[in-house]
Amino acid sequence: MSAVGEAVRERVGGLFWFWSVGAFRRSLPVLFLLGLAAFILGPLLSLILWAFAGRWFYPALLPQEFSLKWWDVVFGNRSVVNSIKYSLMTAPTVTLLSALICLPAAYAFARFQFPGRRFLLLSFLSANSFPKIGLYISIATLFYRLHLMTTFWGVVLIQLMGTLLFMIWIPTGTFRGINRSLEEAARDVGASGARTFFQITLPIAMPGLLVAGLFAFLAAFDEAQGTLIVGSPNYITMPVMMYTLVLNYPQPVGAVFSILLTLPSLVLLLLAQRLLRQGYLAAGYTL
Amino acid sequence: MKSSVREGVTGLALVLPPFFLLVFFILLPAAEAVLGTLRVERSGQLVYSLARYVEMFHTISLRRSVGFTVMVTLASVAVTFVLAYALALYLRFSRGWVSTLLGALFIIPLFIPTVIASFAMVTFLEHHGYIATLLHYVGVEDTPSLVFNATGIVLTEVWASIPFATLVLLAGLQGIDDALIDSARDVGAGALRTFLAVVLPLNAVATIITMSLLFIGILGSFTIPYLVGGNAPQMMSVVMTNYFTNYLRPDISVSLAALSFVIAGLAGAAYVAGVSRRERGAV
Repeated sequence: MSAVGEAVRERVGGLFWFWSVGAFRRSLPVLFLLGLAAFILGPLLSLILWAFAGRWFYPALLPQEFSLKWWDVVFGNRSVVNSIKYSLMTAPTVTLLSALICLPAAYAFARFQFPGRRFLLLSFLSANSFPKIGLYISIATLFYRLHLMTTFWGVVLIQLMGTLLFMIWIPTGTFRGINRSLEEAARDVGASGARTFFQITLPIAMPGLLVAGLFAFLAAFDEAQGTLIVGSPNYITMPVMMYTLVLNYPQPVGAVFSILLTLPSLVLLLLAQRLLRQGYLAAGYTL
Repeated sequence: MKSSVREGVTGLALVLPPFFLLVFFILLPAAEAVLGTLRVERSGQLVYSLARYVEMFHTISLRRSVGFTVMVTLASVAVTFVLAYALALYLRFSRGWVSTLLGALFIIPLFIPTVIASFAMVTFLEHHGYIATLLHYVGVEDTPSLVFNATGIVLTEVWASIPFATLVLLAGLQGIDDALIDSARDVGAGALRTFLAVVLPLNAVATIITMSLLFIGILGSFTIPYLVGGNAPQMMSVVMTNYFTNYLRPDISVSLAALSFVIAGLAGAAYVAGVSRRERGAV
């Protein structure tokens, strides 16, 4: 065993001779950082340049001419402006509605024992694993019958489906992580169940609930396939509009619109950066 | 006894509204759609048969699409996993400016809508795109095509999946006690040995969760393969949409959706098994 290990180490050691060079090992993290930065930021920087490019021909590193004319094109297009409006209407509505419906359920999943608890919790995974296009006919039939097709609430409902998983799993993990003795202590000094929940449990759970809300918002904001099925032609949201722009307009138009479409989530990024690293997301996926 | 019954009833009552939504707007429509693919008209009578699925498997382009989808998904999961694991390890065990910058960097794609990510990738990777321009300046002209093929899809899927995978893996690593790692180092284990013998097994659940959820997400993704993929072969979600809107064969489209759901179900089973293992206290 150890003889084989020794032999392997020698072979590998020969191949990766640079590994023993201290300077290489010390600079490895920096190389990794630079590589990842190029990979993650590269496409975004290229996009930003395109949004301000008046003329840009290969092989220039920067556009030959900068211009804001594509911004006028985008803001001059009524359907584009409308899509911004619709997106900013639906995504927050979906997030709030989803919280209203799912948070009590998440609390129950975390704190109550009832038959089929695990199965019910797992069943929400299916909402995100059946391809939406496979539901097209049945959903359309159902929504026509309920007079939801091409309506605001129809779009809200179809986007809501994509948020269930986040709004149930992440808060369930959060509630489960809260030490029960804190709640019991509050009950012992005479606080009612409701008071305990609102004054003890909810404040402690808030960061986790915000992470869930964030994921739900992004899922709703990003949803295109279901919205296209149910919403068009009345409710074209920004991602749906983006398909048209990407496929039918000059590159800078798509780039300008991309920047607009990214702004709401960038604001969220700045607000949520700290919360995300604290494990609330993962807690939700460990059931 | 009585209070536990009350607890059970309250629990169920709170859980039912979202479950009802799920059943009514996803599960029932899905069941109806899949049942529809099994119903075939034969001499004026409706009978149940697997004829459509047989047809699907006899169509070469569809068979290729299924294989292509699984391969692209596995490749994307593998690359994402390796990058995310390296990132998570570094963020967990290192302090300093590199760690701080990496921590701010890896989260960014989470906030970029997938339509935008795909479009940005196209401008970055396309023929005469930014990569090609940079390569031109260092004297490389004939670059292999990076976009509108499997490479483009994998790169974009990896780009979009890094934050989620890293967050879940990082949380798993943060659950590992420093004392365990210190004691491994004390008895003389090197970094690699400590990783293989201590860190990797202790993080097994996070690993299974990450991999299966990545698999399900990438398998079903539509936007990325639609905008970044090529003409043939295409991923199943794109083929489904084509069969629906262009070839006017919604039955084949739904059959493919059912098949994709079954494949996702396999990953789901791995996930459940992984999580159950943890509940039994094996990890």
